[in-house]
Amino acid sequence: MELFLVPPTSCPDSTLPQPSDPPWSPWWTLCHLSHHGDQPKSPLPRSWPGQVSRFCQEMKKSKNYALPNASWGPDMLSLYHEFLEKTKTSGWVRVPSFRSNRDHIQGFKLPLDLSANSDKSDWRLFTRCIEREGQGYEYVIFFQPSEKKSICLFQPGPYLEGVPGFVHGGSLAALIDETFSKTAYLSGEGLLTVNFNIRFKNLIPLGSLAVLNVNVEKIEDQKMYLSCVTQSRDQQTVYAKASGTFLQMHLEEDSSRQ
Amino acid sequence: MLRSCTAGLRSIWALRGRREGAPRLSMDLQPARRLFSTEKVIHKDWALPNPSWSKDLKLLFDQFMKKCEDGSWERLPSYKRRSTQESEDFKTYFLDPKLVEEAQLFTRGFEDGLGFEYVIFKNNDEKRTVCLFQGGPYLQGVPGLLHGGAMATMIDIALGSCTGGAVMTANLNINFKRPVPLCSVVVINSQLDKLEGRKLFLSCNVRSVDEKTLYSEATGLFIKLDPEKSST
Repeated sequence: MELFLVPPTSCPDSTLPQPSDPPWSPWWTLCHLSHHGDQPKSPLPRSWPGQVSRFCQEMKKSKNYALPNASWGPDMLSLYHEFLEKTKTSGWVRVPSFRSNRDHIQGFKLPLDLSANSDKSDWRLFTRCIEREGQGYEYVIFFQPSEKKSICLFQPGPYLEGVPGFVHGGSLAALIDETFSKTAYLSGEGLLTVNFNIRFKNLIPLGSLAVLNVNVEKIEDQKMYLSCVTQSRDQQTVYAKASGTFLQMHLEEDSSRQ
Repeated sequence: MLRSCTAGLRSIWALRGRREGAPRLSMDLQPARRLFSTEKVIHKDWALPNPSWSKDLKLLFDQFMKKCEDGSWERLPSYKRRSTQESEDFKTYFLDPKLVEEAQLFTRGFEDGLGFEYVIFKNNDEKRTVCLFQGGPYLQGVPGLLHGGAMATMIDIALGSCTGGAVMTANLNINFKRPVPLCSVVVINSQLDKLEGRKLFLSCNVRSVDEKTLYSEATGLFIKLDPEKSST
């Protein structure tokens, strides 16, 4: 059966859904494009298209940080708009980014042994912990469901310094892990990092644009294997290469919540 | 050897040694005396207890401070920003002076208790370090758990603390065994396994305070910077 990608009729990137919008926001819809004879990279969970939409829902009460602000430099902005176009024309999805991952999984509950330490409302996603625009992590992730890959546009601010004038290796590792995490979840419920390997090649100057290309290489035995190449926009400089393994975990619906 | 070359060499080694490194004497328990208001920020030692430290963290800290009394262990101080002199030294090696001035060490950019609360103790005889780490509420990944990337950042710092002089991380490989609950205390034991020229091979494990839970194991490769060459 063939389904078609429905382009949004209007997609103003600076507006948030209105209070009157239904949960399935009308201004974008994602469908799974399937042709006879094509082999998908791996068997997809049955609820997969719904999963992506649900995960990527804009939250009415939560600020979406994956939107341009005054600190974004011209490189970041132009590449962002390039990918925004692709969300209308070639199936890419812009992944919203909230202060806490809890906002992505509203209505789900974590497996029992993980949920012992229930999170509090002031707890924050690490890569969204620095509020001041342009000082810490400025990033946005675009996901391509049919190819299980993502691109993360990253502009690091001065608070992420390691070696003077350059990005701290650990802060880059954290963003790669975060991009892996979103890609893994949207590609098949990959939830927890079990292995992370990073090879640093070149330093990223603070304030410049770095592009993270993430691919799902393989899904086997409940584990997802991902790779990431972080490079300059013109691809002339490779900053780092990384690989990660994620454990797939299905989240149950939380029937106790509304 | 040219005088400027020696000066550069000395300042790079001093910088790494001073930043998360140890002063030569371990008696430096108090924050440095404050002369001017700007220097107060620069010279505050963050590797000391504050109200956000949990009981577990304070207890372990006291235990290790006791071990420091006979000189076999020393506590490494930790600063947020470089002094103007250190920034000047690095400017000759790296670019964009403006960003260098505004910047601060990533892990010390949080208010007390919200991000990385940690202190590193070094055993010079055995060439190993112990890092006590309490990850705060701004380091969340999966709700209720410490972000894998925050753990990777701490592992990078802990492994780096076993090195001396100016070094950079080349590789990190981390195996996560169990997720770390947010706001708990973990102990990172790191050691230098092998030294080959400018390559340093290190490893560490991350355990719970009672040592019963192994959270992760990691290895890393660090490279000593060659002071003869510029890095850009």
